[in-house]
Amino acid sequence: MFNNIIDKLLKLGAQQADDIEVLIVGENSFSVRVHDQQIEAFNYSDSKGLGIRVLIDGQVGVSYTEDFNESALQMVVREAVANARINEQAEKVVLANYPEVDAKLELFNESLEKVPVEDKVALIKDIDRIARKLDKRIINVPYCMYGDGKSIVHIANSKGLNKQERTNSTYSFLSPLAQSGEEKRAAHAFALTRDFSKLNAEELAREAVKNTVELLGGQKFDAGMYPVVFNGETMASMLSTFSGLFSARQVHEGRSLLAGKLGQSIASDHVTLLDDALHPTGFSSRYFDSEGYPSQSTLVVDAGKLKTYLHNTVTAAKDGVHSTGNGTRGYKGDLRITPSNFYLKPGVATRGELFSAQPRLIEIVALSGLHSGANAVSGDFSLSGEGFLWENGERKHSLQMFTVSGNILDMLHDVQAVADDFQFQMNTFGAASTLVGGLSFSG
Amino acid sequence: MLSQAVIERVLERALSGGADFAEIFAENQYYSNIQLNDSRIKQAVVGRDYGGGVRVFYGHSAIYAYTNELTEAALLAAANAVSKAASGEGTSIIALERRQVESLHPMMTPADKVAKEQKVEVMRKLDRLARAAGQRIVQVDVAMVERMQHVMIANSEGLWVEDDRTYTRISCASIAEKDGEKQTGRVSPGAHAGFEFIEGLDLEYLANESARTALTMIDAGYAPSGKFPVIIDNAFGGVVFHEACGHALETTSVAKGASVFADKLGQQIAPSVVTAIDDGTMNGMWGSENIDDEGMPAQRTVLIENGILKSFMVDKLGGRKTGYSPTGSGRRQGYKYAPTSRMRNTYIDRGEHSLDQLIASVDYGLYAKQMGGGSVMPGTGNFNFSVLEGYMIRGGKIAEPVRGATLIGNGPESLTKISMVADNLAFAEGMCGSVSGSVPTCVGQPAIKVDEIVVGGRKE
Repeated sequence: MFNNIIDKLLKLGAQQADDIEVLIVGENSFSVRVHDQQIEAFNYSDSKGLGIRVLIDGQVGVSYTEDFNESALQMVVREAVANARINEQAEKVVLANYPEVDAKLELFNESLEKVPVEDKVALIKDIDRIARKLDKRIINVPYCMYGDGKSIVHIANSKGLNKQERTNSTYSFLSPLAQSGEEKRAAHAFALTRDFSKLNAEELAREAVKNTVELLGGQKFDAGMYPVVFNGETMASMLSTFSGLFSARQVHEGRSLLAGKLGQSIASDHVTLLDDALHPTGFSSRYFDSEGYPSQSTLVVDAGKLKTYLHNTVTAAKDGVHSTGNGTRGYKGDLRITPSNFYLKPGVATRGELFSAQPRLIEIVALSGLHSGANAVSGDFSLSGEGFLWENGERKHSLQMFTVSGNILDMLHDVQAVADDFQFQMNTFGAASTLVGGLSFSG
Repeated sequence: MLSQAVIERVLERALSGGADFAEIFAENQYYSNIQLNDSRIKQAVVGRDYGGGVRVFYGHSAIYAYTNELTEAALLAAANAVSKAASGEGTSIIALERRQVESLHPMMTPADKVAKEQKVEVMRKLDRLARAAGQRIVQVDVAMVERMQHVMIANSEGLWVEDDRTYTRISCASIAEKDGEKQTGRVSPGAHAGFEFIEGLDLEYLANESARTALTMIDAGYAPSGKFPVIIDNAFGGVVFHEACGHALETTSVAKGASVFADKLGQQIAPSVVTAIDDGTMNGMWGSENIDDEGMPAQRTVLIENGILKSFMVDKLGGRKTGYSPTGSGRRQGYKYAPTSRMRNTYIDRGEHSLDQLIASVDYGLYAKQMGGGSVMPGTGNFNFSVLEGYMIRGGKIAEPVRGATLIGNGPESLTKISMVADNLAFAEGMCGSVSGSVPTCVGQPAIKVDEIVVGGRKE
C-alpha cells in the first residue's frame, strides 16, 4: 500500500545517509459515546504518518511527517540528517534484515470490518439503557463508549527488511455513577475483543453496575498496616506503572531499582512475570517490533528471580545479549523499550482461598493517581484507592476512599499468593487477584 | 490553507444530511523535541503534523471525522461520513467572511530559524549547572519542545480565520541519589512565544531550583498520615484547584450533570477570600491564545468572585447544551480531536496575607512547597495529589522536610476549607489531558491555607 513512498525514501536516504529505516503507520478508527440515550460524540478517522531513522557515522536522526507529498518527503530526510549530526548517543545503532517469526497469530478479524455502524450504535445505547435501569441507585452513566480500529504497520530499511502486518480490535467501556444519601461512587467495566459478536450489552452493563453499587456504604477504618488483595485490574495497573523498572534502557540510564540485580531474587517465589508478544489472547501481540525484530515470549521474573531486562537491539548489544523484541516506536518518536503483553502468571489458588488466607484484609478494586502518586525511580507509591474490608473470607463492607502506600519492590517480595482469575486489561497488562502481606493504609 | 470554494463545498456536503452546524479545522504544525540525558543529546525529533477535521452538530450530538489529506476529495469524504451519522432539521451556510486575527502574543524568533547547535548549547548549560548544584545529583534530564501550529477554522455561521500559535518550553529534571534511594526535582518553564523566551531565562536559577528539591527530599523522612491543616504554596500548587475544581467548571462536565457545581451558579461555593479566574489573554503565557480552536477571540473569564460561582468555561457545544454563552474555551490538541471546553491560564487570585502569616497560623500541619501531579474522580470530585517537596509545620514555623505525602480530599469540600490566601501569586506551566487531547495550560495561585485535609504518608 505504501511501497511507492518507501521506495522514494530509501532512495533519498541512500543519497544523504549511511542507512535509513522507514516506518509507516496507517490507522482507521471509529468511536461513539452516548449519554442518556443521546449520541454525545461520534468520531471517524482515516490517518497515516511516517517516521524515518537515518544513520550517519553510527548516530541516529529521527523525523516524521503526516503530509506525504514530495516536498515533505524531502523535508523529513533533510531534518533527520541534521538531527543525526547533533546526536551523541554512546550506543551504536544498527539496522538489519531480521528473519520472520515462526508463529501464527490472529491479529485481524475480517468480520469486524463488516459490522454496520447502526449495530455499533445500537449496542452502546443498549449498554447505557440497561445500566440505567438495573439499579435505581445509578443516577447517571457519565461515560459510555464504543470504539473500534484497525492499523497497518509497514517497516522497511536499507538492509532489505520489508515487513507489514495489520491488526484490528473493538472495545466497549462504561462508568456509571451511583448515589445513596450523600455518598456518590463511580466504577467501570470494559470489554476488549476482535470479535464484535462477543460484546454483550447485558453482561457488561451488569458488571459495571455491580462494580459501582457495591462500593456504596463505604465506611471509615483505622489507619495502619493491612494485608491486601489487589484485584486483577489494580494489580495490572501496578505492573504497568512500574514496568519501566524492567527496561534495559532505564537500567543503563541509572533509573531502575533493578540495576545489578540479574539472577537475584527481586520478588517472592509466587511472582513469575512474562512479556509475551506472541500471546494468543493478548492485544499487544505482533509478529515483529518496531525494528522489525521477531517477537518472542520472554520470561522476565521466574519464581521471584530476575532473569532478564527487556531489550531492543541497541541495549542488547551493549549488554552482549539478544534483543527481546521490545523495541518500540510510533512514527513520531525515537526507539524506546516498552512491554508487549506483560503479565503476572496466574497461580493455582481460587479466589475463596486467597481471601481466606488472612483473617482480615483489604481488597483494592480501584486505584487513581498512578501517574503522580507513584515514583517510578524510587519505587515509592502513595495512591488513592477504593475497596472492601474482608474478615475470615467474607466481604464485610465497602470502605471510604483511602490511601495505600509502600514501595513496589517491598511489595513484590511480600506477595503471598496469586489467584487463578487471570485477565488481560485494556492497557494490555495482565494479572490475577494477588495477595500482599502488608501495606500502609490511611483513610 | 484551503480556498474559499473548497471550504464552502465541504461545509455544504457536511450539512447535507440535516446537520445544523458544520465546521472545518485544518492544521499544519512544525514540531521539534530535543532531549539530553547522561550529558549527551540522546534524541532529536523534528516533524510535521498535518491534517484536518470536519465537525457537525445535530442538536446536541457532535459528529467528527478527520483525515491527513487536506485535499478537496479527502475532506469531502470526511464531510460525507459526518453527514450520514444522524438526521436533523438542517441549516444553510452564512457567506464566509475572512477575518484577521489580532496577535496578542507576538513571536520574535521562530523555532526553525534557530540553529540546532544553539538550542543544544542552552541544554548543555542547564545540565552543567544542575550537576554542579550538589554532589548527590547523579542524573539530569533536559528537554526542549517547540511547536509552531498554523490553523484554519471555518464554519457554517460565516466564520473564516487563520491563526499561528507558537509554544516553547524547556524542562530540567535533576535526580539525587543517596544509599541507593533516588529523588527527583523538576522545573519546566514554557511560553506562548518563540525562542526569545529561552534566551530570556535565568538558567542558573532554574538549574538550582530543580536540584534543590531533589537534594532536600533525599534527606527527608516519610510524612505522617492524618488530618491536619495544609499550606499549599504558589505556582504549581494551583494544580489542585485546576484538577479538583477547574475540570468540574468545564461545560464538558457541567452539561452531563457530572459536575458538583452544575446547579450552583450565583451561589457561594467557597469562602469570600477565594476569587478564581481563567484567562486566555495574558501576554505570552503558556495557556494563552489569540482565538480558541473554534475561532472565538480569547477571553478573561472570572469563575469565582469572592466565593460566588460566576461562570463556567464554555465551548460551542457546551453552550448549546447548557444555554451559556461560549467563553473562548473550545480547545483541542490538534486535528485528531474535536474541541471541548478546556482551561487556559487558571488561577486563584492573590489575597491579603503574606506566606509567613499563613505558616504562623498553623500549630501542626504540612507545608506543601511544591506539588506533584494528581488526579480527580469525575462525578465525585474526590482527588489525590502527591507533594513533591513538603515540610512539617510545628508551632507556626517550617520544620523538617518530609517526603511521600499525598493530599486526599474532595474538591468542592476542600474549596470551602480555604481560610487564608497569600499575596505571592505565581504561575506554572503544564500539559492538561482530557477528551480533546493534551493542551498547554497554566495553573497558578498564591499560597493558600486549607484548614483540614487528609494527608496520606508512610510513617506510622
